[in-house]
Amino acid sequence: MANPEAGMRNLLLLATPYSLLPLLLLLPAFAAEKATPDFAGYWGRNSTDFEPPLSGPGPVTNKGRSFYARFGDDTNPILKPEAAARIREASKATVEGVNFPTPSNQCTPWSPPYMWRALMVQVLQQKDHVTITTVGDQQVRRVRLNAAHPKNMTPTWSGDSVGHYEGDTLVIDTVGVKYGSNSMIDNYGTPYSEGLHVVERIRLVDAETAKKAAERMEALNGRVEVIAGGASIDPEARKGLRIEFTVEDPKYFTTPWSAAVTFRPALGVVEERVCAENMHDYNSGTDVPVPRADKPDF
Amino acid sequence: MRRNALLLVTLVMAASGSLGQAAPSASVPNFSGLWAHPWLPGYEPLASGPTSLKNLSRRNGVSNPVQLVGDYNNPILKPATVEIVRKFGEMSKSYYGFPNPRNQCWPNGLPFVLSSNGLEIFQKPNEITMIYQTDHQVRRVRMNSTHPANVTPTYFGDSIGHYEGDALVIDTVGIKPGPFAMIDWFGTPQTPALHVVERYRLLDYADAKDGLDRAAKENALPQPATVDLSYRGKHLQLTFTVEDESVFTTRWSATVTYGKPMDIWRENVCAENPNKYGTERDAQVPTAAKPDF
Repeated sequence: MANPEAGMRNLLLLATPYSLLPLLLLLPAFAAEKATPDFAGYWGRNSTDFEPPLSGPGPVTNKGRSFYARFGDDTNPILKPEAAARIREASKATVEGVNFPTPSNQCTPWSPPYMWRALMVQVLQQKDHVTITTVGDQQVRRVRLNAAHPKNMTPTWSGDSVGHYEGDTLVIDTVGVKYGSNSMIDNYGTPYSEGLHVVERIRLVDAETAKKAAERMEALNGRVEVIAGGASIDPEARKGLRIEFTVEDPKYFTTPWSAAVTFRPALGVVEERVCAENMHDYNSGTDVPVPRADKPDF
Repeated sequence: MRRNALLLVTLVMAASGSLGQAAPSASVPNFSGLWAHPWLPGYEPLASGPTSLKNLSRRNGVSNPVQLVGDYNNPILKPATVEIVRKFGEMSKSYYGFPNPRNQCWPNGLPFVLSSNGLEIFQKPNEITMIYQTDHQVRRVRMNSTHPANVTPTYFGDSIGHYEGDALVIDTVGIKPGPFAMIDWFGTPQTPALHVVERYRLLDYADAKDGLDRAAKENALPQPATVDLSYRGKHLQLTFTVEDESVFTTRWSATVTYGKPMDIWRENVCAENPNKYGTERDAQVPTAAKPDF
């Protein structure tokens, strides 16, 4: 039969400083884990453009001021002549009514920072990595936490992304981003090279900040309605997810520049969106030239 | 003093319990993480009972992955299905390939995607996200939910899940048959009535060995192996059951047994490799007349 006094004695023994020490050692780890901000979930928005900073070098913006008329501002001082020329070339295609090929309309991978044009993303946080899926064509990007870039890396479409938490912010450093014929930084054909370096800082913001950012972008570039693929935003949302990023690529840019995107919690069922079902080249009358390889994938 | 001691103990217990906050609760089996198997095509036919097709074309005693001749004598197949599988087998024998959702870069759909060599599982109380290595396809499972009365068909269908003891059970309907849709690598067709039930369980190596042996008996093992075959830790075993009355004489089951990958996942982009594989034509890419934005 259990002895209540012995039970209490054992409990008190357990509660002595020495016996508690190993357990108490867990508390800092617990506190650290609790401090990790929770970005998990589905986040949406109704714009596919980047937010310019309030001052300083910023992204190429749309002279067309419409989601459906894309004329990148080739006078942006961040651009080296070759980059400006590429933007003019893309704008010319828009003027002629033939949209230019982008990762989005050619069903090719969305590299960072282009991936932040997504109207909806899912963030999955785990101890050693963070996974970000873009709901459009369900692309997947992985970020290794508390790791270093390898010395010799093979460029990939998502690049080599390593991350760590700085207080309430997830900082992601990406290099080794592969460049292909459709690759671009933004919706305007701004090019990059394999010297691209992107640093993203992801944090939660309050609902009002997120709402103002969304309204600003919709005023600048028009709103992508839900029926056109825009996100259905939770009106009760108390937070937003802000991604501020810095881009460096000496081949195409005169200076490092910064931009941001702000998401809000998305409502509704995540629908399956399959780019392969919709890869017409939009007005030229032919199908897109899909890449080819000579060997099986197995 | 006693109150303080109890408080401390309570605090410590609470802290310990919360350390694994990303993991499912103690009563829910933890399937999270990367899982992999090295086999091609990947399904593990059962030793007895209605089960998946084997490859009649053998190389070194196992399935020849570059000549896919499904066993059209398998009694699960209805006569019309027999003819379709036989036709695909003839195509494969006459050259070396025919279009399937994997080599044409289409969503693999269910159950075809279950043959993928890698699976990453993210468990949340209300939703499970599954990412397959092949083209990094993403699939979502709503937990403790019901199918809507009217399901809009999608490639991965409407998947709902729940836990039964140590098993995760996923029920999927509303699977859209795309232009290259097939049940397996042998061209076995599917209809919109397809119904797939998956049961996932964690097994000790000794219990997983039967599945691993069946995998090795039927499937090819590409070299170098991407999975540590000496791994003796917990394995993840999927048992899936397929029903489609227009195609099959009976419901049938097979397994896929996963171990651990030897390395991190490499980026896998089908769009970089949609070659024809002997079909004499390039990938049959669909078209649409409207932008996706």
